[in-house]
Amino acid sequence: MASESASVIQRSQVDLLDFIDWSGVECLNQSTNHSLSNALKQGYREDDGLNLESDADEQLLIYIPFNQVVKLHSFFVKGPEEEGPKTVKLYSNREHMGFSNVNDFPPSDTVVLSPDNLKGKPAVLKYVKFQNVRSLAIFIEDNQSGSDITKVQKIALFGTT
Amino acid sequence: MVLEATMICVDNSEWMRNGDYTPSRFQAQSDAVNLICGAKTQVNPENTVGIMTMAGKGVRVLVTPTSDLGKILACMHGLEIGGEMNLTAGIQVAQLALKHRQNKKQQQRIIVFAGSPIKHEKKLLEMIGRKLKKNNVALDIVNFGEDDDGKTEKLEALLAAVNSNDTSHIFHVPPGANALSDVLISSPIFTGDGEGGSGFAAAAAAAAAGGASAFEFGVDPNLDPELALALRVSMEEERARQEAAAKKAAEDAARQDKGGEQKSGSQVTTMTENAGASASEADNKRNDLTDEDNALLQQALAMSMDEPSSEHNSRDTDMSEAAAGDPDLALALKLSVQDGTKEPATEADMGKLLADQSFVSSILASLPGVDPNDPSVKDLLASMQSQSESQDKKDEDKQPKEEK
Repeated sequence: MASESASVIQRSQVDLLDFIDWSGVECLNQSTNHSLSNALKQGYREDDGLNLESDADEQLLIYIPFNQVVKLHSFFVKGPEEEGPKTVKLYSNREHMGFSNVNDFPPSDTVVLSPDNLKGKPAVLKYVKFQNVRSLAIFIEDNQSGSDITKVQKIALFGTT
Repeated sequence: MVLEATMICVDNSEWMRNGDYTPSRFQAQSDAVNLICGAKTQVNPENTVGIMTMAGKGVRVLVTPTSDLGKILACMHGLEIGGEMNLTAGIQVAQLALKHRQNKKQQQRIIVFAGSPIKHEKKLLEMIGRKLKKNNVALDIVNFGEDDDGKTEKLEALLAAVNSNDTSHIFHVPPGANALSDVLISSPIFTGDGEGGSGFAAAAAAAAAGGASAFEFGVDPNLDPELALALRVSMEEERARQEAAAKKAAEDAARQDKGGEQKSGSQVTTMTENAGASASEADNKRNDLTDEDNALLQQALAMSMDEPSSEHNSRDTDMSEAAAGDPDLALALKLSVQDGTKEPATEADMGKLLADQSFVSSILASLPGVDPNDPSVKDLLASMQSQSESQDKKDEDKQPKEEK
């Protein structure tokens, strides 16, 4: 059921995986063995055993540039119940962000993920704010249980070009 | 060829006055800093390096990350020693300076010279380290100078907090005979995290180790075979050219010998030194050649060859000594040296020289394809002679006028 409603929402949307410019993808505070490709790349992200994990603390800052302008409709984060992300802030078209300037300007959208989301329900975004996206910064502020390490199994972005 | 922006935190506290590193801790540190700057900019010209002080009047950035080596070396020059080092503030300011680097694609690195005791707690250092790791900044720590209990432990803890993927290192340099720079040269700071070594590092290491395992020209033939080959070929060409020049110089020296000048021995050696050839070659060539006219031409040729002006001047002095016994030779030398200047003296000399028919005809005889008995040549000579005579007359006219 959840998957059906998910496919209904995404009817006209495509997975933006093909439009990601992999040469510019960066992730701050990721653990060396558990890197961003485990959550983003085709094949790796389907494997629930391979996670993106945070390193020094629980925050993560992911930067994804696209090779063309896209419109972002919704996104989908899968993670374990306890260490999965909770508050996620998205910034469109902001390059070279660091943890020090995430609070300097307001995010294009903020999503608080519930355990449902973590199981498979995509989070719909404010579509009007993401009409002209060249790059996306995903700031994972904290996780469900407040532990020191945040784990993410899969990140998928949906939208149109 | 990692693209990197580096901030070097220099310790200029009072503890740096100590002389347990020659000549003083501060000097040793300066040398190391200079070497690091050179190495970083050489391994990749787009690398930038910045310098800041942690003690003195306070934590202060002297140079923001730049690839201009001159600026960096200049600011190390006037540094003063004093105060106490503030490690945490220093690292934080360095991190801020790196954050505002111009080229965001550069990897961030901080190199800290920790020479004085550390008054911060271990926990604080670990927190700083984690913050650095979170922001993807690498840290190299050079532990030298003071060694109070806990310092090493604190620095190791800091390194453990920062280190991700072995990009950060710590180096303990005990005081002793080895200079600080020498120890660092063989460390990953210079060898770029084990990439295989830059040319700079190899050359510097060779110089430090006494050239035991030095590559020729400081370039590893394995790393860059084409460059090594090009360097070798150009070196051999240069040697061959210098040998040829030395041969000519030696021949000229042989002419001067024939003039009967005793000083020519020393001149020969100076001249051959100028030409860059060995003295033995000069001895061999001295006994060849007998034609005096050829010698004059050879000298003129040698003078007109591309020589640096200093060599030219020294040759003048050498030649003038040798030419004391030979007036024609002196004139020829004057002419070839003052070629291009329009002094009346030279013109007069020129006139006198050309008036000397025998000299001119001898020169012409040695020129290929010119027959002095050819009527056109004779006409030319006659016209030149008349010109020189009229010039002499003009000079004579001028002189009485000047006297008046």
